[in-house]
Amino acid sequence: MAQNVYPHYASTSNPAKQNEDSFKLKDNHAVSKRLQKELMELMRCSDKGISAFPECENLFKWIGTISGPADTAYAGQKYKLSLEFPNSYPYAPPVVKFLTPCFHPNIDLSGLICLDILKDKWTALYDIRTVLLSIQSLLGEPNIQSPLNQYASYMWQNPTAYKKYVDDFYNKHKDS
Amino acid sequence: MAHTISELKLYWNRINYAFPILNDTIFSDCSRAEYDEIHQIIIGMGVQHRVRDLILIHIEKYLRQHIAPSFWSKFSKVDEEVKGFQLFKSAVNELYESISNFSEMLGRLSILNSSCCDNKPIFGEKDVILGFKQLIRATLLSQLPLEYHVIINYFYKISFNVFDNENEHSDMGDIMCAGCGNDFSDCNCAYIVKVFHETNRKLMDLQLLERLTGQVLTNFIQLRIENHIQKLCDGTFDVSHIHFLENWLDTTVMSWLTRIYCAGSSKPPPDDHNIQCAISQFKKKLSYYLYHSYTKLRIDQLFNIIIEYPDSQPAVDDIKLCLDKTDLRSTLCIRLQNALETRLLHSGVNTTDILTAYVSTIRALRHLDPSGVILETVTKPVRSYLRNREDTVRSVVSSLTEDGAGNELAEELTKFAAEADLENEKDEAWDEWNPDPVDADPKVDSNERKANDIISMLVNVYGSKELFVNEYRTLLADRLLAQSAINTEKEIRYLELLKLKFGESQLHFCEVMLKDISDSKRMNSLIQQDKNLEVVDDNFSCNALILSAQFWPPFKDESLELPEEIKQHLESYTKSYEALKGNRTLSWKPHLGYVNIEIDLPDKRFDLIVSPFNATLIMHFQNKSEWSLEELHQVMKVPITVLRRKITYWQSLGLISEKCTDTYVLVDGSDSTKSNVASNQVQEMICEDDEAESVMASAHDQRECELQVFWSYIVGMLTNLDSLPLDRIHQMLKMFASQAPGAECSLKELRQFLDTKVLEEDVICEACRDLAMAAVNSSLQSEVSGSDVAGPSTRRQTNACLLCGSSILNRRSDKILRVNPNEMQQSIIDLITSKLAPREEDRMRKDAVGSYSVCDTVI
Repeated sequence: MAQNVYPHYASTSNPAKQNEDSFKLKDNHAVSKRLQKELMELMRCSDKGISAFPECENLFKWIGTISGPADTAYAGQKYKLSLEFPNSYPYAPPVVKFLTPCFHPNIDLSGLICLDILKDKWTALYDIRTVLLSIQSLLGEPNIQSPLNQYASYMWQNPTAYKKYVDDFYNKHKDS
Repeated sequence: MAHTISELKLYWNRINYAFPILNDTIFSDCSRAEYDEIHQIIIGMGVQHRVRDLILIHIEKYLRQHIAPSFWSKFSKVDEEVKGFQLFKSAVNELYESISNFSEMLGRLSILNSSCCDNKPIFGEKDVILGFKQLIRATLLSQLPLEYHVIINYFYKISFNVFDNENEHSDMGDIMCAGCGNDFSDCNCAYIVKVFHETNRKLMDLQLLERLTGQVLTNFIQLRIENHIQKLCDGTFDVSHIHFLENWLDTTVMSWLTRIYCAGSSKPPPDDHNIQCAISQFKKKLSYYLYHSYTKLRIDQLFNIIIEYPDSQPAVDDIKLCLDKTDLRSTLCIRLQNALETRLLHSGVNTTDILTAYVSTIRALRHLDPSGVILETVTKPVRSYLRNREDTVRSVVSSLTEDGAGNELAEELTKFAAEADLENEKDEAWDEWNPDPVDADPKVDSNERKANDIISMLVNVYGSKELFVNEYRTLLADRLLAQSAINTEKEIRYLELLKLKFGESQLHFCEVMLKDISDSKRMNSLIQQDKNLEVVDDNFSCNALILSAQFWPPFKDESLELPEEIKQHLESYTKSYEALKGNRTLSWKPHLGYVNIEIDLPDKRFDLIVSPFNATLIMHFQNKSEWSLEELHQVMKVPITVLRRKITYWQSLGLISEKCTDTYVLVDGSDSTKSNVASNQVQEMICEDDEAESVMASAHDQRECELQVFWSYIVGMLTNLDSLPLDRIHQMLKMFASQAPGAECSLKELRQFLDTKVLEEDVICEACRDLAMAAVNSSLQSEVSGSDVAGPSTRRQTNACLLCGSSILNRRSDKILRVNPNEMQQSIIDLITSKLAPREEDRMRKDAVGSYSVCDTVI
C-alpha cells in the first residue's frame, strides 16, 4: 500500500463523506500529535525566511510567514499565509492560502495557490516546513504554463516592470 | 384591751430604748432583763411584725446615710503608699467597730424576729445577723466610689512586699528594709503584718473580703506575676523557668493568699469548705495566668530563642509544656511569622544567615511540635522567600559539603546517614499514634510532615531534587577543577552521603566526574611514558584532566587561541590518547586549568601559577615585546575588553606597561628603574590571579539556556501572530512547548526573560539612524577632511557609533568630539543622547499595553 494513501479509505471500498466525522474523534489525537511534533521540528531548525505557528489554541489552524527569497522580485517582503489541516492530515494536504495579497502568476487575488504538491502530488512525507519552503521557492520560480493570474504571467517576461509592479502591489496591500 | 395615749407613749419610749435605731442612734444601755420586759410589751400589743419591719427600715437608712459614706470617705486618691495603707486600715477598723456596735441591738432584734414566727426572710437570709451583713454589703457596694481600688492596692502592695521579703531572706546588707522601705532600726514589718492580718480578718468577718478586694487582688497578683516573669526570664534561654515559677506561685503567692483568707495562718482551716474552695479557685486562675504570661513572653522572644537553639532548648521545652495549657498556638504562629519576616526576610540579610536561621527554626520547632504543623505554617514565607533568592541552592550545597567547625548541615548529613537504618522501626510504634492538631492542613499527609528531615526541607524549598543535584554537580566540578591536588577521598565520602539522601541515579553523573579525575591521573602517567609522544618542546610537560563531556555540567564558553607550540604539544598528546583509547578523542578546553610558569628577566625571576589565559598573554610577549590590543585580539581570538581587563594582572606585576593607549610593551629591567619602583607598589596590591570566579555555567545560566528553547517558539509565535500580550504568550507556550526540556516557566520568569530580550541588544531604529547619519555627514563634510567621514554603517548592529563603529553606549568618537566640540558637533552629541539613546530597540519590542512583538526595523 502506498504510504500516502489514507488507510481508512483503503480499507473501505466506498469512501463516503459522512465517515469523516467518525475519524475526527478517533484520529484527532494522532493528528494533533503529528502537528505538535512538526511544530517542535520547525522551532528547532528555524530556517531563515519561513515560520509558522498555531493561530490560537486550535492546532489545526496555523499562520505561516514566508519572506520573499533574495534575488527575486519578492526580496525583502513578507507574506502571511493561513494553513488549515484536515482531520485526515497528513494523508490529505493542508489548505494553504495567502493572507497577504500576492501578485504572482500562480496565486490568485483571493490568495489561492496553484501548486502541485498541495493537490495531486501531495504525499504524507511532506510537512509544514517543506510546504512553506516550496511556496517560498514558487515565488522565485513560477509555473508560467498554468497561471492563475494571467496578467502576472504576462508581466513575468519583463523583470524590471514586474519588480516595480510587485513592489507597488506589496506596499499597497501589505497591511490589508 | 384599751390603752391610753400616755400608756402608748410610754411603750413607744420603751421600744425606742431597746432599739435606739428608731431615733437614728445606736447606743443604748438596755440590758437583757429590761429587754425581756419590753419584748413582752411588744408581744402583748401584737405589733412584733411592724416593729421589726420598722427597725429594719431604720437600720437600712442608717447604714445608707452614715456608715457607708463615712467608710467610703476614706477611699480618697492618695499618692503615698503608706498613707493608703493607713487609710484602708482605719476605714476597715471604723467600719468594723460601728458594725459591732450594732451587735447588741441585733441580738434583741433576732429575739424579736424569732417571736414573729412568720419565717419572712430578712434581706434574703433567714437569720437576722446574716441578713444584716447582707444589707451592709449591699449598701456599701451600692455606693462604691470610682477610685476605691487605689488604696486597697497600696495596702496589699505593702503587705506583699513585707511578705515577699520574709520569704526570700535577702541578706544583701541593705540599710533599708526591703519589706517596708524603712531603715532597719525602725522597721515596721511586724506591725504591718499584724495590721494586715487584723484587717483581713475583719473583712473576712464582714464577708467583704472577696467582694471588696477580689478584683484588686487579682489584678495586683497578675501584675506581680508579670513583673516576676519579666525579671526572671529576661534574655536567658538556657534555663527552664517554668518549675521555678510554679514553685514561686505556690510558696510565695499562694501562701500569702492563704494568709489573707485565713487571717494569718498559713494553712486553710480544714473544716471551712468555703475558704478552701475560694483558694483553690484562685490558684487555678493564677496558675493559668502564670502560664499564659510566661508563654506570651517566650513567644515574643521566640525568634531569639530559635537563633540560639539548641542552647536555648530549656526555653523551648517550657513553651512546649505551656502550649498544652494555654491557647496560644495560633498566636505563636502569627508572632513568629511576623518576627521572621521583619528580622530575616529582607535583602539586608545574607542567604547563608537565612539558611542558618531556617535550619534552627526547623530544629527548634520540630522539638516544640513534633507533628510539624507549626513548622509548616511558620516557615511558609521563609520558603517562598528563599525560592526567590538566586544563591540559595548554591549556599545550601556548599554548606552541605564544606566541612569545618559549626557547619550544621554537613553534620546533619552525616547524622542522616547514621539514622537511615533506623527508619523501619517507625511502623511498630502504632500505639503511640496521635491525631494531628486541629490547625493541621488536612491535605498534607501527617507522616510526610514528620518524616521530613532538615535537608529534605531545604531541598523542598525548590520542590525538586534535580535542581539541587545540578547545583551540587556544578560546585563539585568547580572544586575539582580548581584544586591542583585533588582530595578525591573527601569528595567521595560526601558523594556517598548524598547518595543515601538523593538516591543513586541522581548522583550518577557526579560519580563519573570523580572517576574521571582518578582516571585522568592514570592516563597522564601512561601518556607521559608513551614512546610515541613526540615532544615538540622539552621545556614543558603537560598534564590533562580528561573529562567525560556527557557527564560534566556545561562550561562557560570562552575562546582562547593558544600559542602554536602549545597547540602542537596538545595535539601530540591527543594523538597519543587516541592511540591508547581507540575511537575516542580529546577536545581541549584551553581556558581551563593552570599553568606553572617561570619568567626569567635580566634582573628578576618569577615563579607563578597562572591561568592559561595569562600564560598565553605573557608568552606572546616572549617573541615580540610590543603588542597592541588589536594584534593580541587577532592572535588570541579574545575580545578586546577581556584582554584589557586581563592584562592588568601583568601590569600589576610590573612586567608589562602601557606605552600609549592600547599598546603594551614588555618591561625588562634594562630600560627602566623607575617603573620598577612603581610596579612594586602595585604588586602588593593585586598579586593573586583574579580567576576566583566559577568556570561553570551557573544554574542561572543553565536556566537561561533552557529559556532559549522557548525563545524560538516565541519568535515563531510573534512573527506569525503579530503582537501578543504576555499572558497569551505564556498560555501558548504552555500549550505548544510543553515537551521542551525545562518546560516549566512561570509568568514572572517569562516576563523577566522577555524584558531582557527587549534590552539585550541595544539596537536603535533605522529611521533614527538615518536622521543622525544625515546630520553627522552634513556636518562632518565641512569639518573633517574626506577620509574620516563616516558613511552609513553596514554592520548588523545599527547602534554602532557613526564615527568609530563601536557600540553607542561606549562610543569613543563621542569622546573625541567632546574634547573640543564646536557648535555643530555639540548639537549632534545632543541629538544622539536625547533622541537615539532612549529609542534604542531590539528585535523585541514592548508596546504601551504590554504586548510583545518582533521589531522589524533591524536588518
